[in-house]
Amino acid sequence: MKTNPDPEQDALQRVLGEWQVKTPLPPRFEEQVWSRISQAESRPTVGSGLRLLWLSLQHALARPQVAYATLAMLLVAGALGGSWAARRQTTQFEAALSSRYVQSVDPYQKAGMNP
Amino acid sequence: MKKSGIILLVGAFLCAAAFLGFYYAGTASCRAMMRDAQPELAWLKKEFKLSDTEYARLTRLHEAYLPQCTQRCMRITEQNRQLQQLLANAATVSPEIQNLLAERAKTRAECEAEMLKHFIEVSRAMPPEQGHRYLEWVEQQTCLNGLEMEKRHSMAQSPHM
Repeated sequence: MKTNPDPEQDALQRVLGEWQVKTPLPPRFEEQVWSRISQAESRPTVGSGLRLLWLSLQHALARPQVAYATLAMLLVAGALGGSWAARRQTTQFEAALSSRYVQSVDPYQKAGMNP
Repeated sequence: MKKSGIILLVGAFLCAAAFLGFYYAGTASCRAMMRDAQPELAWLKKEFKLSDTEYARLTRLHEAYLPQCTQRCMRITEQNRQLQQLLANAATVSPEIQNLLAERAKTRAECEAEMLKHFIEVSRAMPPEQGHRYLEWVEQQTCLNGLEMEKRHSMAQSPHM
């Protein structure tokens, strides 16, 4: 071990070495410290949650029934989403065309006309 | 792990393919209407379930009506312009302004009458039930519903709304 060449530091080291804590520790101090350590270790993080999810998904998909059901669900979800988007698009498009028709026959709705 | 990844990839592909397929099939009617020379008339055909013969007749009526409608529009625009000019320099309602207002009202009435005639003709080109539905709809959508004046009055009464 390296010795300290500074005499003041030497003195400090000596005093610290001789210092004894007289105040007693709170009751069940050690037990509480270990309990807090274990709590911190078991606290779930986002990473550990995702990993757990992925592992359980892998485990579930290993069964053929679950795998087929997942594929069927994704297929149905895609079909429903596509139908919904198409219906929405068609409704908007038809509303635009009906306005266009009305504008073409109603002089008061023609561009630049102020009744 | 590899097997699960492949299953999920296939699932994602199926999901995307189903989405695109259904979207494409669901918007086919829109694309067909857009290919028509007059998409708004194609919409009318679809909405009021017209046959090709009825649609051809309706297109002829529409094409015959539009030039006359444009002429009346131009007349009204010109009368509006003249009125603006007269109003800009007028301190009282001169006989000239009164005449122009009366003339414009006459043009508007003529315009509305012609429009109504056209709508009736179009409705007759459709099957009776659809024709009736068309007339009801078009009268609600155009100035024939007579709501323009009321709208303006309600807006004038609540300018901060």
